[in-house]
Amino acid sequence: MPPPNDPRDPLDFLFERWRDAAPEPSDNLESAVWRRIAANENPTGLRRGWFATVEAIFARPSFTAAFVVGCVLLGLLLAETRVSQMQAKRSVQFVQSYLRQIDPQLDGVEGSASAESVSIQP
Amino acid sequence: MKRTFIALILGLVCGVAAHLAWFGVRHPAPVYDLESQLAWMKSDFHLNSAQLARIRALHEQSRPRMVALAREVARMRREFSAIEETRQKAGEVDFVKVSRFVVQQRVLDHECLDSARQLVAATAEILTPKQRDQYLAMLTPAIQAAVGGSLN
Repeated sequence: MPPPNDPRDPLDFLFERWRDAAPEPSDNLESAVWRRIAANENPTGLRRGWFATVEAIFARPSFTAAFVVGCVLLGLLLAETRVSQMQAKRSVQFVQSYLRQIDPQLDGVEGSASAESVSIQP
Repeated sequence: MKRTFIALILGLVCGVAAHLAWFGVRHPAPVYDLESQLAWMKSDFHLNSAQLARIRALHEQSRPRMVALAREVARMRREFSAIEETRQKAGEVDFVKVSRFVVQQRVLDHECLDSARQLVAATAEILTPKQRDQYLAMLTPAIQAAVGGSLN
């Protein structure tokens, strides 16, 4: 608090105290501020940095080869998953059609076939 | 940039090609007639040629009887439809006809079931114990469900 008989504005006293306590600004403050301003004005800079990283990674032949092999393995894995799913469906289909084949009375097991659709033909 | 793009496209093309090739080679064929059923059994149960030939002969021998039973089943269903139509139109039920129909239906059910059981048992005899277990494990639940359904 300022002394009671001090004629100066109380704000002047506060500013004086702040100047004493505040640290000195760093030397590169101005450049840092301009960099942030530039970054805000040009958001594609970050994206360009990401692309540059990806490009640098793909520039290594070993990574490119590993990427292609990974794609092939992923394709095989997905194909095998599809085959397994289809195999399970075919298994059910086999049981249904086989039962229709060996017993005409069972053609309504799944409620879909009629007597005329029995697959046994003369 | 161009190199990255080429690598991405190459990976995509190789992945899709591998997927399609693997799926094309390994995907199971649809099962709808005796030939495809036998092919399915051959690949799934790992049947040898002799087993396949015997199972094929067994099923082909049973075919005339199956055809006769299928015709009988169709005839019984037509008869039931006629009885039901008469009941709905005329509001009358010929109980003698219905009781005769029920007896015939029961006999036919048993004939069909016996025939199927005989064929399954004869086929199982041709298989090795492991194949037999697989074959019966696959068919038994469906047959039991069908028998339960026909008794209800």
